[in-house]
Amino acid sequence: MSQFSVIGKSVPKVDAYEKVTGQPIYAADLKMQGMLYGKIVRCMEFAHAKVIKLDFSEALKIPGVVKVLGPEDVTQTTYNTGACDEMVSDKVGHLLGDLKDQSIFTDHVRHQGDAICGVIAISEEIAERAAAKVIVEYEPLQVFMTPSEAEKTGTHQLHPDKANNMAFQLPEAMFPGNSYGWGDADEAMKEADIIVEDDFYVNKQKQCQMEPHAYIAQVDGRGRLNCWSSGQMPKITHQKIARLFNMPMSMVKIHSTTIGGGFGARLGIIAEPETCALAMAVPGRPVKVQTLREEDWIISESRHAGDYWMRLGFKKDGTPVACQARFKANTGAYFTHASGVPFTTGAWLSGMYKFGALGYQGESYFSNQAPAGAYRGYGNPQTNFVLEQLIDRALTQLDLDPVQWRLNWHKGVGDDGWCFGVKYPSCQLSECLKQGAEAIEWNKKLAEFKNQTGTKRRGVGVSVMNHTSGAMPMLLEHTVTTVMMNEDGSAVVATACSDLGQGSHTVLHQIAAEALGLDMNEVTLKTGDSDANGFDIGSHASRTTYVGGNSILEACDDIKKQLLERASKHLDTAVENLEFGGKTIFAKHNPENSITTAEICRLGVYNYMDPETGEPEGAPGQIFGFSSHFAKHNSPPFGACFVELEIDTETGEIELLELVHTHDIGRTLHPAMAEGQMVGGAQQGIGMALTEEIYYDEQGRAVNSSFTDYKMYGSSDMPKMKVILVEDPDPHGPYGAKSVGEAGLTSPVGAIANAVYNALGIQFKEAPITPEKVLKAIKENGLNFA
Amino acid sequence: MKERAIELTVNGIALNITVPVHQTLLDTLREQLGFTDTKYGCGTGECGACSVIIDDQESLCSCMALASTLNGRSITTAAGLASNGLNAVQQAFIDQTAVQCGYCTPGMVVKSTSLLRKNPNPSEEEIRKELEGNICRCTGYDSIVKAVQQAAQSFPESDTQWDNAVELKAGANS
Amino acid sequence: MSSRILPNFDLLVPNSTSEAVNLLAHYQERAAILAGGTDLIVAMKMNYESEILISVSELDGLDYIDFDPNSGLHIGAKATVSQILDNADVKQHYPALWQAANVFATPQIRTAATLAGNVLRGSPAGDCSCALLALGARIVLQSTEGKREVAIEDFWTGYNQNARKPSELAIEIIVDAPQSATGSAFHRMTRVNEDLAKLNGSVRLDMDGNVCKSARIAMGCVGPTTLRLPKTEKLLQNEEITPELLAHVADMVPTEISPIDDKRSTAEYRLMVSGVVIKRLIEQAATAAN
Repeated sequence: MSQFSVIGKSVPKVDAYEKVTGQPIYAADLKMQGMLYGKIVRCMEFAHAKVIKLDFSEALKIPGVVKVLGPEDVTQTTYNTGACDEMVSDKVGHLLGDLKDQSIFTDHVRHQGDAICGVIAISEEIAERAAAKVIVEYEPLQVFMTPSEAEKTGTHQLHPDKANNMAFQLPEAMFPGNSYGWGDADEAMKEADIIVEDDFYVNKQKQCQMEPHAYIAQVDGRGRLNCWSSGQMPKITHQKIARLFNMPMSMVKIHSTTIGGGFGARLGIIAEPETCALAMAVPGRPVKVQTLREEDWIISESRHAGDYWMRLGFKKDGTPVACQARFKANTGAYFTHASGVPFTTGAWLSGMYKFGALGYQGESYFSNQAPAGAYRGYGNPQTNFVLEQLIDRALTQLDLDPVQWRLNWHKGVGDDGWCFGVKYPSCQLSECLKQGAEAIEWNKKLAEFKNQTGTKRRGVGVSVMNHTSGAMPMLLEHTVTTVMMNEDGSAVVATACSDLGQGSHTVLHQIAAEALGLDMNEVTLKTGDSDANGFDIGSHASRTTYVGGNSILEACDDIKKQLLERASKHLDTAVENLEFGGKTIFAKHNPENSITTAEICRLGVYNYMDPETGEPEGAPGQIFGFSSHFAKHNSPPFGACFVELEIDTETGEIELLELVHTHDIGRTLHPAMAEGQMVGGAQQGIGMALTEEIYYDEQGRAVNSSFTDYKMYGSSDMPKMKVILVEDPDPHGPYGAKSVGEAGLTSPVGAIANAVYNALGIQFKEAPITPEKVLKAIKENGLNFA
Repeated sequence: MKERAIELTVNGIALNITVPVHQTLLDTLREQLGFTDTKYGCGTGECGACSVIIDDQESLCSCMALASTLNGRSITTAAGLASNGLNAVQQAFIDQTAVQCGYCTPGMVVKSTSLLRKNPNPSEEEIRKELEGNICRCTGYDSIVKAVQQAAQSFPESDTQWDNAVELKAGANS
Repeated sequence: MSSRILPNFDLLVPNSTSEAVNLLAHYQERAAILAGGTDLIVAMKMNYESEILISVSELDGLDYIDFDPNSGLHIGAKATVSQILDNADVKQHYPALWQAANVFATPQIRTAATLAGNVLRGSPAGDCSCALLALGARIVLQSTEGKREVAIEDFWTGYNQNARKPSELAIEIIVDAPQSATGSAFHRMTRVNEDLAKLNGSVRLDMDGNVCKSARIAMGCVGPTTLRLPKTEKLLQNEEITPELLAHVADMVPTEISPIDDKRSTAEYRLMVSGVVIKRLIEQAATAAN
């Protein structure tokens, strides 16, 4: 019998009924009285160019066109669509060299898709037709697409303050030698018996959330700017929009619409500035801007591609003596997350193994690619692809078992986590490795695959990862919750935490119901209204259950305290002698002396005078709980992934047969949703490893910004999946829970690469590992599998 | 002609409407008739978010069809499947937590219903193959496949709507 | 940039083939024919424009699939890929075509897309087109002048070009009846299962025991149109199928194709795998024949 009533149960998702019937309102579904339609004119022909002529005259002749706005018609304030600038102090931001380098419309096209101007018309069709009639002439500029092209002398400088187009490097003032880690890695490396070292390339992957970005904005009769958007961070959007248009936050309202997937694509803001600017030109009229899939692709950020060098040193017995790494990220045309991703990419490296010494350098470079930004994993899959392959390369040389070595050398409780000084409070990675190895029959298969014949070759691979639950202490970790007790004892929980679809609202609901001893339907969540919701940094960094959940627990504790104080008066019993029994509070030694929480709440609101005593009945006042919660820890989860695959050595094609995904979850709050995160994450990790990358032509234009040519694993491609959740309640997580959001994507990347290595004896230094690369490598290595 | 008057049955209701000839069925449903449960995901028939059932059985991408050429046809959307309470597929999607962001869900429900009407006892392999035209970026598909398997247990008996539609049509033809 | 909204056009919806060919005779190049729309509508969202669209949606009688052991397979121009897949005769007698239909696009697209549309589109990546080339199909074209048949190998005249005159309507595809020991097979390579082919191939063999009497071999995504591989076919003619012969075949195939680098694969890769694909298809078709 579980100690909990709703925690740990796969209750129906709170939004499931609406979603299966298609009722939720995503931004594109909204239709309003008098609505106008905006179309942003984007530069599709060039990746880098100057606008030398902009002529609206033909567009304005089309009946139904209301206005066309160019760069001079909108605010000149620049901004950063990423959210990092709101998450660190101004001092740190200054040290990191963070930039606000984006503007609503531009005359300097820095990447294909940059916005030139915007058309407002009475229908989407007219807006599109008019947009096609806007005459723009360009003067092409030098195009550079990679960090190595960017830093070459003579290359066009994208930003005056950033020499050699280096957008960021670990700042000397915070990280001497522009490097972080521990020990002296150069010295330690000299002690190594064997050294493995290589240069890798990690790919530019797209989030591909199913809902293309769409927005509505309207300036109402009071001059208040309303914006309907599906951001992951509604309060950051609120703040950023108010600041951009120089308005008090009280004059800006963000209405959160249902979010059709995020995975990082909706961190910060995207096209809210353009939409709001259009709406401000036609006060009173709502303006809808709905992007095409192709447009969504080039205006929202992707994963950071980049060049990743790593060197590892080991003793003959496998002792890892030193690790050195340098990640040169391609941040694209604007700053966005140029500091955040190269910083954390090394954090995941630091958090994994007990190297004697470690030194990491992280940098990012501007280019004419579409901006990179946040994508589920935030640097972790990049590290996983490189680190886990190099580890296995060394283990082959040392003749050590990949599972056993990882059991011996992974970090655990008491070691420094990804952030130095924050120690791991819990770790079940060893158990994950053991259970996963058993599930995939590691030893048996490893032995079997040593003696294969024929053209089809199988392999097994393992990879481990650490992640985080919220970004404390690197970034602000703050969530505000209010809980209002209705007069019948049911509760309304107000929080700005958004639900991207992963089910955070269901879990937060469960946490509140459990804490207050209420049924699921006696709790409701008030979210998505910037007027009603207090601060929340937003749904990112696998934080919502962990930080939002703890904030709700804190607010519920506040409620319980007030209920107990009032019960104490009603029952004439000291608080310490009372028991909170869910909907009833009673005296520990005399349970019959009790009062329902509903009665306390009712009497607080309907606080009438008792006609017999002339005194009020009960304590007056509606009960509100409050929490302005700053996370105290980041309780990193761990995980181990095992993959079995088969390679057709005549064609290079890879078939994934099975993927066993283990996760150190602390406590599972909702098993079905946790599994859904792991399986869904795996689908994206598989994509990064095998099929997904944005490609550019020589002119810097994306050639596959569509589902036709950017291929993701589909229903029939997915391998047999097994998810193992290893439970060991964490001391800091809500009910012991750790995060599960980003973890599922990370470890499949390295596990697949290692399984390919196991099958062929070849490592692939560039992701994704396509059949083209596999077959070429087989031929180049002169391998014959007949 | 630039506009065409057509008869279109949507979610069981026969409509006489006039549509611009170049309007996709997706826009007819969403913009003209207000069935916003049918979603725009890619516009090129790759993602299946705009899937509808045509003539009560086959599925179709409404982004690649013109309403003006569907005179006399019948279209069912996810909302229509729930006109007498949830259908078995919809209930199974809830039970199996096969719903995350929900954007692909109406198309998934529509496609799954269509596949069960064609094949009430599909193997897992058949389910996975039939769902190839519907992209879900959240779930990794396992929960969706389980939901279809759950719904299959009560198909076709639970699919009362289909029976009604087939009976209505039989009546009309006789 | 593409669009969600199609350009304007005039729609014509004829009720009969004769009405349709009359309209074509009148409008010629000004009109495009709209059947399933799965190519045309996407093209129109990109950049394709046509003043007039003639929809075959209400045209009577062209949605048949008839098989006769003597006259072969007759497929009406409105028959969809989904119908091909559901047809037992196709599955039994023309496995290459059925296998192509089985992996063609997605179920939703198969509902709308017509087999004739796939041939008329003439994409070098067309899966059903590739199978039909190996099987040796003929396309029946009708105009106000009458009917004519064009062999499929003569039908595609270049990238996105075919032998249909602007006044003609494709009304039927005919595939000859298989002989007593005919086997066929289709295979394609893709990045993920739901995809356009990066390479596809199809083989039809008329066998006598283990001896190949004649072969038709087609390959797609390796030239401006789907190609036949005559030299490879000749290698097989009246030869016993042995591992040595298949090794020769695998070496010959790349000499007959001229692939390029594109979004889906590289020329180098296509050259490397083309022989393997055909070798495997021959094995499969030979097995099916016996």
